[in-house]
Amino acid sequence: MSTGLQQWAPSPSPGPPMKSGRGRRSSPMTWRWRDRLALVFAWGAGLGLCLIAGAIVVYMGYRGVEYLRPSLLLQRPALSTTQSETGGFLDPLIGTALLTVIGVVLAVPLAVGGAIWIAEYGRPTWLARVVESSIEMVAGTPDIVIALFGLSIFQLGLFAPFSFKASGGGVFGKSFIAAGAMMSLIALPPLFTATRDGLQAVPSHMREAAFALGKTRIATIRRVLLPSVRSNIATGVTLGISRIIGDTAIIVLLLGETLRLDPQGSVPGINLLRGTGSTLTSYVYGNSPAGEGAAPQKAYAAAFVLLVFVLVLNLIVDRIGRSSADATGMTVAGAVV
Amino acid sequence: MLERLSRPWPDHRAERTLGAVSLLVCALVVAMVVFVGIHAWPIFEHNGLSWLGSGGDLGRQLADMQNTTQHPPPSAYHLRAWPLVYGTLLTTAVAVALALAIAIFSSIFIVELAPARLRRVAIPVIRLLASVPSVIYGLIGILVLVPFVGNHVISSAEKESVQNVVLLTGAGLSVTVVILTVMITPIMVALICEALVSVPNSWREGAVALGVNPLRGMLAVTLRAARPAIVAAAVLATARALGEAIMISMVSGSRSFAPKPIDGLVFFFEPLRTLASGIVDYREGIAAPALGSALYAWALLLLFSAFVLSIAGYLIKLPLRKFQVRG
Amino acid sequence: MSRIRRLSLAVAVAGVLGVAAPAAASAITTITISGATASYPLVSLLAQKYIKVHPKKVKFKITQGGAQIGVNDVAAGRVSIGDVSRDPLAADPAGLVFYPIAKYGICVITNKSNPVPNLTQSQVIALFTGKTRAWSAIPGATASGTIDLISRTSVAGVLTNFQTLLLEGKKVSTIAAEEASEGLMRQKVESDPNSIGFVSNYQSDKGTVNPVGLNGVACNKSTVQGGSYSGTARFYEVTKGKATGASSAFIGWIEKSAAARKIISTQWLPIS
Repeated sequence: MSTGLQQWAPSPSPGPPMKSGRGRRSSPMTWRWRDRLALVFAWGAGLGLCLIAGAIVVYMGYRGVEYLRPSLLLQRPALSTTQSETGGFLDPLIGTALLTVIGVVLAVPLAVGGAIWIAEYGRPTWLARVVESSIEMVAGTPDIVIALFGLSIFQLGLFAPFSFKASGGGVFGKSFIAAGAMMSLIALPPLFTATRDGLQAVPSHMREAAFALGKTRIATIRRVLLPSVRSNIATGVTLGISRIIGDTAIIVLLLGETLRLDPQGSVPGINLLRGTGSTLTSYVYGNSPAGEGAAPQKAYAAAFVLLVFVLVLNLIVDRIGRSSADATGMTVAGAVV
Repeated sequence: MLERLSRPWPDHRAERTLGAVSLLVCALVVAMVVFVGIHAWPIFEHNGLSWLGSGGDLGRQLADMQNTTQHPPPSAYHLRAWPLVYGTLLTTAVAVALALAIAIFSSIFIVELAPARLRRVAIPVIRLLASVPSVIYGLIGILVLVPFVGNHVISSAEKESVQNVVLLTGAGLSVTVVILTVMITPIMVALICEALVSVPNSWREGAVALGVNPLRGMLAVTLRAARPAIVAAAVLATARALGEAIMISMVSGSRSFAPKPIDGLVFFFEPLRTLASGIVDYREGIAAPALGSALYAWALLLLFSAFVLSIAGYLIKLPLRKFQVRG
Repeated sequence: MSRIRRLSLAVAVAGVLGVAAPAAASAITTITISGATASYPLVSLLAQKYIKVHPKKVKFKITQGGAQIGVNDVAAGRVSIGDVSRDPLAADPAGLVFYPIAKYGICVITNKSNPVPNLTQSQVIALFTGKTRAWSAIPGATASGTIDLISRTSVAGVLTNFQTLLLEGKKVSTIAAEEASEGLMRQKVESDPNSIGFVSNYQSDKGTVNPVGLNGVACNKSTVQGGSYSGTARFYEVTKGKATGASSAFIGWIEKSAAARKIISTQWLPIS
């Protein structure tokens, strides 16, 4: 989220601040009716938004507490038409974690490498603008289009080792690797923006001091700049993670939608990546009336767990932002969603 | 050779490697357009651009596409997807318009009117709202809002008035637009707040010194100076609303039907379908060549719209640059 | 040998062993199946039993999406077997082989609060083609108001058979809501008091909806198995070309073994 919401306080201006002392403010009773209407709208909109957010959190919390039992987190899901036998959501939890790891591992080199090139090298300039525009375009692409793109790539014969080949010769195209690769595209823009802004915010005297000591540019980057933008990278990764765990469209198209983890092939470890599975988001979708609808209680429980994850990630971003601002005196440039 | 790699790299090699990594992203974008375009080509080949128009029952056309062989005859590719395009335009336009109004007033509230304690609560809360996954919005919509609208808001007389055309179940335009607005407002609030704050306070104080009340000063001076950010926020929100697939597929009623404003109040309850939610709904039929091409064609349209939006946003901000504090 | 060379050789050998050993040990084939939601419960049960009878030989990956999806997937080579709940059509791709495995009944259902006991075929046709729109026109119905027609999406084999067998080839009206699976159809009829729909007898026998008799014959497991109910159709397993290898063994087991016959007889009717 942008810095505006993170650490803003009214900036002090010369002279007595506007808001001190009731007497300085003109009373709304003296305003024109248009301004009074605007005042009412502003209060209404602001309070309304807060109330809606509060209502969502409270309602999900209420339903979650009602339906979530610790055993659900540890039980494997089972296919059954009777509610009480549908098991828990251990496999979706593992699926979410696995997918997040794959997405982040693939996104970090791409995003950090790109950000370093833009911030530190960036020649020729037209190429730098092209790269920045490309990342903006990836950021603006709907996730369903990215999912279809992933499907079109991973169903090519070339990529058959990444999922599996059915006996008729068709490539299945849906696996953890396929979904993870597309998830890295989802996590790429926030990570790139955070790293690039952090690098651009590093004062130039740090670079100049390193050059004066005889270090090459790449050595400066490795030893001086990257460590100083660690918190930016951490913020970017956390933002990327929160986008990955919240995404459903890519899962529903690219992960095969099997309730349990279904490894493919016989090499241990790799077979998990080539296999299909589910995540919390596809579990919620599948159990709602839009999917098979058999278990809205399980859907609520899983949705509550998902919301808790998102809340925790938000807090982490907040914490990183505050601690880095204290430490270095520089603000952390949070990336816009 | 491994030793050569572990020694410190010369600058030119590092620059080339990092440049190649950056170019990989560009290559991915190009690949996206190319691959989606290749799969979407058959629809364009058989329909030209008229597949965006209307004609016939879209539901039946898609059904016929699904029930075809691996080598379908040209007639199988017949598509008139106007209901989807109309659904997308309708939901996006209405949601963005509502969200813009709500976001501007909420931002003014947060920046100017809220007491400090309320502001400290409001900011994290709105930020949380922006990061809630869309499937949770869809879940609350389909389990709470849709039954409420279906059982308590739609009267049976209204149901009977359209009973020969479509079934009203509560899942439809109103619930879709409401939830979509709630989804995109926080994104805009974040951007607009940041812009309002970065306008120097002295500008507004000058206006107040001339006798304008503080709120009008905020509206007349600060908000106008933040116009590029408002445009950026609107563009971002539109891109988000266009691409929303999962939530809409859960609460829109999933009928390839174009809601008719002529129907009066019932218009707000009629089911619909958008391009993105159509891709989600028909995703299992992708193995049928004609339907697969149709899905990729819709995706190509969405991709194209996203690109056009970024360019449009950039172009709109250009003349406003002379007024801005920061863009 | 330099240290790096030795290290890389060791890694290479370990890698080859690591891949080859498990690959040689387990020659498990995966049978992928996709298709009808109506036959999904049956095929899942059969697959589970088959694994118990022939452990460690095969693995199953079963998905559902509708009979037409199964036909398309098997024709495209994406799955080994397709579950199809309708008879072969002229429009089906060439080269597909249909193996019948069981029979099922298609029952018209209404909400439990609206216990319509029986409908004649002409009444069913008038209802589902949209000619009759109010419950007041149906004798025996306690619901009032508009009739909410619930149908299936176009990929459903049950829909094709329903139109052929019960609607005499006419198509369900476009007013009808379209549900993506049997489970969703059943849930919709369970929750909407004004609704009417159709499912296979496996779903209506659960007792949560009211099965409506057809031309005086009730629709349940015993009338379907006894042969008196007229709306019965067949489940097929479909392969591209004649079934080979693991698929052929599985289909042969379904057709011939007593264990499979027992499973089919719980809710459906065996073929012979």
